[in-house]
Amino acid sequence: MRPSRRLDPLWMLGPTLVLLVVFFFVPLLQAAKSSLYEWDLLTEPRYVGLDNYRALIDSGELGHALSTTLIMSAVVVVGSMTLGLALALALNRPTRFAAFVRSAIFSAYVVSWVSVALLWLWVLDADAGAFTALCRALHIPTTNWLGNPKSALYALSGVTIWKIAGYSMVLFLAGLQDIPRSLYEAASLDGAGAWQRFVNVTWPLLRPTAAFVGTTSLIISFQVFDVVRVMTQGGPVRSTSVFVYAIYEQVFLNLRVGRASALVVVFFVLLLGLTALQLWAWRKKGAA
Amino acid sequence: MSFSRRAFLALAATGCAPCVAPPGRKTAPLWFTYGGKNRQVLEGLVKTFNQSQSEHWITPIYQGDYFEGLAKLRTAIAARRAPALSHVVGEVVPYLAEANVLEPLDGYPGARELDIVPALGQAGSWIGGADRRLVALPFNRSTPIAYLNGKLFAEKNLSAPKTWDELRAVARAFTGPGRYGFGCPIDWWFWAALVGQAGGDVVEPDGRVSLGGQAGERALDFWKTLVLEDKSMKPPPGRDYNAWEQTNQDFLGSRVAMIWTSTAFLKYLEENAPFPVVAAPLPADRRRAVPTGGTHWIMLRAAPAEQKPTAWAFLRFMHETEHAITWATRTGYMPVTRAAIAKLEADGYYQQHPNDRVALDQLGVARPWPWSPDLFRVQREIVQPRLEGAVLGGRDTRASLDEARALATRWR
Repeated sequence: MRPSRRLDPLWMLGPTLVLLVVFFFVPLLQAAKSSLYEWDLLTEPRYVGLDNYRALIDSGELGHALSTTLIMSAVVVVGSMTLGLALALALNRPTRFAAFVRSAIFSAYVVSWVSVALLWLWVLDADAGAFTALCRALHIPTTNWLGNPKSALYALSGVTIWKIAGYSMVLFLAGLQDIPRSLYEAASLDGAGAWQRFVNVTWPLLRPTAAFVGTTSLIISFQVFDVVRVMTQGGPVRSTSVFVYAIYEQVFLNLRVGRASALVVVFFVLLLGLTALQLWAWRKKGAA
Repeated sequence: MSFSRRAFLALAATGCAPCVAPPGRKTAPLWFTYGGKNRQVLEGLVKTFNQSQSEHWITPIYQGDYFEGLAKLRTAIAARRAPALSHVVGEVVPYLAEANVLEPLDGYPGARELDIVPALGQAGSWIGGADRRLVALPFNRSTPIAYLNGKLFAEKNLSAPKTWDELRAVARAFTGPGRYGFGCPIDWWFWAALVGQAGGDVVEPDGRVSLGGQAGERALDFWKTLVLEDKSMKPPPGRDYNAWEQTNQDFLGSRVAMIWTSTAFLKYLEENAPFPVVAAPLPADRRRAVPTGGTHWIMLRAAPAEQKPTAWAFLRFMHETEHAITWATRTGYMPVTRAAIAKLEADGYYQQHPNDRVALDQLGVARPWPWSPDLFRVQREIVQPRLEGAVLGGRDTRASLDEARALATRWR
């Protein structure tokens, strides 16, 4: 479609473009520049070239933040999609009770991250927590969920899944309700059981929804900060120091603007790479 | 329901009256960094100051915890919006002083006559502190002390441990289902206390970061024994002050029989515990030793010149005997002037409140910190993660400290 006046698209895009430039491109360029300096905001910045990147690699902090973030993302994406889909399948029925349960589950999504983190801090307490008590009642071995470096990241991932599963459920419900009943009736007439109907009818038609849920879960998991800040502060032994928290820690606790900026640049490149990969996958599928 | 403009103005006039300086007063902002009871006491003292004279007005502004406050302070300095007055943890003072952002205080009237307890002021807090320009005054100064659940200890007829061996035995005696005998954050400050007790120093007087040598290893191994072998010490989840708060809550909930934390929480724990709280000095290993902690008052060089006399007037007010006593006796921090201690002694306060005396008595074995601009970074970035790695992650003690020592040496 061609615009009647050639300048119309430009002024319509203008406000967004200005916001993007002011709040995204300029700070990003500033961060790229700061990443080449050693600066604590108090003394004069000192040019150090790529030393900040080198220090992040040599100290293992970059690799650690990357692996922690990717592990958390993998657990959160798989967990929220699986739980969201299971809940959607179980609650996709027109009863008042199902509607009530759907609302109750979705309510977690609208509660603030800080409230959720404080709630789970209590639930996961190593001694008096409800989750620990439940494990003990079921004779399941317990641990200091947030104090053990082996379990803390998975505990935070679990909290994130709990928070966003309601959102995944709603999206999957919308996808399920778009599938024509006639397809299920035809499959049943052909002798397909519940599992075969899911594999051959439900899942193929839910794939676009699943792709969207996966993308949004990935974005949320990469942005996780509040639960880390409130529940573990990156510990124990930096086991929950995900990328965004590592950036915060460098600039606000270690007073290292240069290293924090270097992390920002690497984080941006990482997200850019993942987005490009995703676009490539979609285009490839579209072409096929 | 409508809300009339008159009602709004009346509310503003009554509810916000203390926030607004009356006309003609010289004003200065005070950025402070604690909540809860300590905040109430400080705001009360500010109110008293504002009402006690008609020339100056201090506006207190809460800025989060110590490190959040420091980050905001640094940002404000860079943005040329520095407050006249704030307070920062001791290990940050050399860093700010070397960055030349602190206002020298020795030129202000009466600065040298404040009668400060030497161990709590600049002279005793840092090695060679007295030889430097005065840039910091003591405010909420503390040491780590032990808090005991009086009810549980009475039931078992046990008393406060005086040695590490006794601490281990007592911690094991109380450990059982749903309860640990001992709780302590895996934090550099408490480890520094253990290193001192084991006969070492985290930083040598010449500034070399030795991490206590063998004493450092012995201290870390002691923690590991309690946490990993005896399972009688609860390391709380979280880091920094979140972990400290968790330790307090475990103690108040009787989930831990004895904790180590700051004197800062003395009144808070006494007032909120459903059992008698008994404070005790930290035990000895080869000797008795504690580090000092807490914060120092600072004035910012970049603050507007007209605010500085007001900030100084408030600092002098806080060092007056009556107000130093109010701050100390209502919070648990130590009185910072000798006159305040003498008055409390004379009034029999310490006979009536023996818990308050514990930290004061420990001052005799307090170890000063080196004047090192890098110390807080060595602490945060190098040592603290390796302490957690050894105790919580089970890493080898010697390897952890050797690595930390090598990194800290390279840093210099």
